[in-house]
Amino acid sequence: MKDTIRRGAADFLNYKYLHGICVITIALSVFVISAFGLFLINAGDLMVSWKKGIRIIAYLEPGADEETRDLIIGEMETYPEVAGVEYVSSGEALDWLKEEIGRQTALLEGLTDNPLPDAVEVSLSGDIDGADAISSLAARMEGLDGVADVEYARKWIERFGGIYNLFRLTSMILIGLIVSAVMMIVANTIRLILYSRIDEIKITRIIGADDAFIKYPLYFEGMMLGFLGGLAGLVLLYAAFFITVPQLSSAGLLVYFQVRFLPWNLVLLILLISMTVGWIGCYFSIRRFLRF
Amino acid sequence: MKKMPFDPERTIIRLYDVSKYFGETDALVNVTFDVCRNEFFFISGPSGAGKSTLMKLLYLEEHMSSGYAIVDGMNLARIRRNQVPMLRRRLGIVFQDYKLIPNKSVFDNVGLVLEVAGIRSRKTVRDRVMDVLEKVGMADRHDAFPPTLSGGEQQRVAVARAMVGNPSLILADEPTASLDPEAAEMIFDLLVSAHSEGTTIVITTHDRYLLSKGCTGSIYLKKGQCEGPDGACR
Ligand SMILES: Nc1ncnc2c1ncn2[C@@H]1O[C@H](COP(=O)(O)OP(=O)(O)O)[C@@H](O)[C@H]1O
Ligand SMILES: [Mg+2]
Repeated sequence: MKDTIRRGAADFLNYKYLHGICVITIALSVFVISAFGLFLINAGDLMVSWKKGIRIIAYLEPGADEETRDLIIGEMETYPEVAGVEYVSSGEALDWLKEEIGRQTALLEGLTDNPLPDAVEVSLSGDIDGADAISSLAARMEGLDGVADVEYARKWIERFGGIYNLFRLTSMILIGLIVSAVMMIVANTIRLILYSRIDEIKITRIIGADDAFIKYPLYFEGMMLGFLGGLAGLVLLYAAFFITVPQLSSAGLLVYFQVRFLPWNLVLLILLISMTVGWIGCYFSIRRFLRF
Repeated sequence: MKKMPFDPERTIIRLYDVSKYFGETDALVNVTFDVCRNEFFFISGPSGAGKSTLMKLLYLEEHMSSGYAIVDGMNLARIRRNQVPMLRRRLGIVFQDYKLIPNKSVFDNVGLVLEVAGIRSRKTVRDRVMDVLEKVGMADRHDAFPPTLSGGEQQRVAVARAMVGNPSLILADEPTASLDPEAAEMIFDLLVSAHSEGTTIVITTHDRYLLSKGCTGSIYLKKGQCEGPDGACR
C-alpha cells in the first residue's frame, strides 16, 4: 500500500505536463458544475424564503361563531405545508385598513357596520413544492366548513415557480452533459498519459510485473488527479464567490437575503465525485494496457 | 525428430514442433530443439529468420500458433495469464535496443526488477543493485539516466537488470548488434561470466563470428525453419 502510493506519487511528478492538463480540465469542470450548484442552492434558498412570505387568506362566512373558527384554525394547523395560522378579526382588519388609509379615515367614518369579514391568514413552510401544491392547499382550505373564500397571489406563484423549475431543469441537464463530457475528457487524458508511457509499462511487464503492480499506482494517480482537480476547482469557485458576493451586496442586490457558499458536505461530495471520475477514467483506459 | 524423454533437472527449454504465424507470414515453422541447463546456447540466422519471434515465444510476449514448449518447468501452452509474471521473474532478458526506462535512473531501472518481484526491503534492493552494477562496471553511474549513457553503457545496465534477479535463464536477443566491437566484447564477456556462475544463456545473433565463442549448443534458423545442428541435449 505504502509502496503503491510512493510509486504513484513518483510517476505523478515524472509526467507533470499531461497531469497538469488533466488537473486543469477537471478543475474547470468542477468550477462550472459547482458554480451551477452554488447558484441552484441560493436560488433554492431564495425560493424558500419567498414561499415563507406567501400568505393565503381564508375569509370566513359572515356570522361564523367562535367554535367554527377554532375548528377551522385547528384544522389548518394540522396541514404539513402550513407554518403558521393567524386569526384576523374583522375589527382588526378595519383598524389596519384605517391606519393604511391614514388621513382619509373620514371615508370610513360613515360606516356603521364593519363590511370586512373575519379572516384566517396562513403562512407557508419553506418545503412546499410548486404552484400546484399551493393551489391544492388553497382548495382544501376553501373546502372547510365556514370558509367563504380564499385569496392568494396565484399568478405570481405560478410565474415565479415556473421560472425556477425551468432553471432547475436546464441546470440539471447541463450538469449531466458537463459531467459526461468531463468523464470522456478525463478518460482520454488518462489514456494519453498511459500511451505516453506505454513503453515503460511494456518493459515493466516484461521484467515480471503482475496486473496489480501496474494497476494500483495508476488508480492512485487517477484519484489524485481527480482530487487535485476538484480541489483546484472549488478553490477557484470560492475565490470567485469571495470577490463577487460583497460587490453584489454593496450594490444593494442582496438586502434581505444571505448568500451562502456550498455546504461542507457538498464540498466533500464534489471532491469524492471528482476522485471517482479520475478513478473511472483510469479504470476504463487501463484495461487495454494490461494485455501485454 | 523423435521426442526425447524429458528431465526437468537437465532440460531448461524444450520446443517441440513449434510454429508461429502472423497472418500469412510463417515466422516459425515446426521448430524443435532442447536447451540444457547451464548451456551457452546460440540461435543464429539471417535477419527475418524468426529469431526475435522465437525469443518472444519463450518469455510469452507472443503465443505460439501450435506446438509444445516448456521453459524452466512451465508448460507455455497451458500457462495461465496470472502465471506469466512468475515465468518472467525467473528469466533475465536483454534486447538489442536495451529497453531501459528513460526517465528512471540506472539504479531504479535495475531495482525495478526486485520491486516487481515483491522485495520490499530497501537495503536488500540497494545491496543487490549496487552489487550487480559493480559487476557490469556501472556502479559509479547509478544515478545517471539512460539517455545520457552511450549504447554500450546502456546495454551494460540492461545486462545488470537481467542478472539482478538471479535468473536461471538469460535470454539475449542480438544484445551486441547495435554496439561497436569493444562494447560488444564487453557485453559478451559479461554474459560469459554470468554463464560461468551457473546461469543458462540463450543468445540470438545474425553474426556467425560470435558463434565460435564459448558456445555449447546452437541452432540455425532460416525463414522460420530450423536448419543445421539441433540443440537436443547431447
Ligand atoms: N508482430 C508481427 N506481426 C507480423 N509479422 C511479424 C511480427 N513479428 C515478426 N514478424 C515477421 O516474422 C518474421 C520473423 O521476424 P523476426 O522474428 O523479427 O526475425 P529476426 O529477429 O530473425 O530478424 C519476419 O518476416 C517478420 O516480418
Ligand atoms: Mg530480431
